[in-house]
Amino acid sequence: MARPVFRTTGAAKTAAPRIVHLDLDRPLVEAARRDPARFEALYRRYLAPVYSFAYYELGNHHAAEDATARTFLAALTNLHRFEERAQPEDGAGASTFKVWLFRIARNVISNDRRTARRHPAAPLDAASAAIVADPLNVEGEAVRRDEASEAWRAVGRLPGDRRRALVLRFVDELSTAEIAGVMGRSEGAVRVLLHRALRTVAHDLGVPRPGRRR
Amino acid sequence: MPFGRDVIEVDALVTDRYLDSLLAARELVPAAGEGLDRGVRLASERLTRDLPRFHPSFRFEERLAVRLAEAAAAMRLPAAAGAEGEIRAVPFPAPELPVGFDPLVDHRDGGDPAGFSRPLLLRGAVAASALSLAGAAWVAWRRSRTSASPMARAARAAHAMRGRPA
Repeated sequence: MARPVFRTTGAAKTAAPRIVHLDLDRPLVEAARRDPARFEALYRRYLAPVYSFAYYELGNHHAAEDATARTFLAALTNLHRFEERAQPEDGAGASTFKVWLFRIARNVISNDRRTARRHPAAPLDAASAAIVADPLNVEGEAVRRDEASEAWRAVGRLPGDRRRALVLRFVDELSTAEIAGVMGRSEGAVRVLLHRALRTVAHDLGVPRPGRRR
Repeated sequence: MPFGRDVIEVDALVTDRYLDSLLAARELVPAAGEGLDRGVRLASERLTRDLPRFHPSFRFEERLAVRLAEAAAAMRLPAAAGAEGEIRAVPFPAPELPVGFDPLVDHRDGGDPAGFSRPLLLRGAVAASALSLAGAAWVAWRRSRTSASPMARAARAAHAMRGRPA
């Protein structure tokens, strides 16, 4: 999983080391700014995560493709506006290109929803069909498919923000700080959102709650 | 002992640490998780295992790549048209013409008025004049030189006969 890189700068022996946030995509972003044709590297890197996010949100392959295309076209034409404003106190992963891109995706998807008045209820069946079956283990695959469908349904029943946070965390593997950047919330709020979402999913999946394990 | 909102925030922090280690380890035996709600832990493991990641079709991927390349080329085009140079006003001072100056009169004998020079045209005119003079000299030399071939002699005789009365 890609994690932000930190390095220390300054005279480490005389003063306290200063943490400087480094965006892993910085070289690619700078290259794309110099020559827009170099945007392709960023596109190939983030196509699947953005598409996954759109598919979970919209529940339709065509709608997800459309949203993905508009997200990347908007990112390319507005790349000059992207500013890496990460500060050490913002936490790891704040205001990186990835966060910026997912924020664009989130806006595109919200607009799609507003115009089409679509609700993500359909993807659950499609998800189970999308799981590649193992022909040598038919019974095991059937069980796995059922479990996957159950998980999908549980996630699909969550309110919008909780579902979005879970998908960004588990599918796109964004950090809490990155999700906070995408959703425009504080890190603490996102942590609570995820925790509550997981408790709801656990309840939906019938996981017994004997209490806190200490 | 924490109460109310503090409790949920502490629990959320523990959950977040657990998720960090779970997703980083990519296996279901993360190091963290002490004090974690059992339901939250099991749900996290289920979602890590069961939520699939999707990839669009190869056809869509390549089609969008072409669209992006076209958009990138369109973005590059306006910059390339003048990117290598800069637009600068060419100094071409207005001539200070004397009172009563007639632009239709040839002033070459008296010289151009001050500041009224055309350096770009000058070289072209000299070159054109030189070529014209060389051309005229070549034609004169060619005409004065008689050709020794039988065909040329016959042509000259026919030309000479044309002017005489029959």
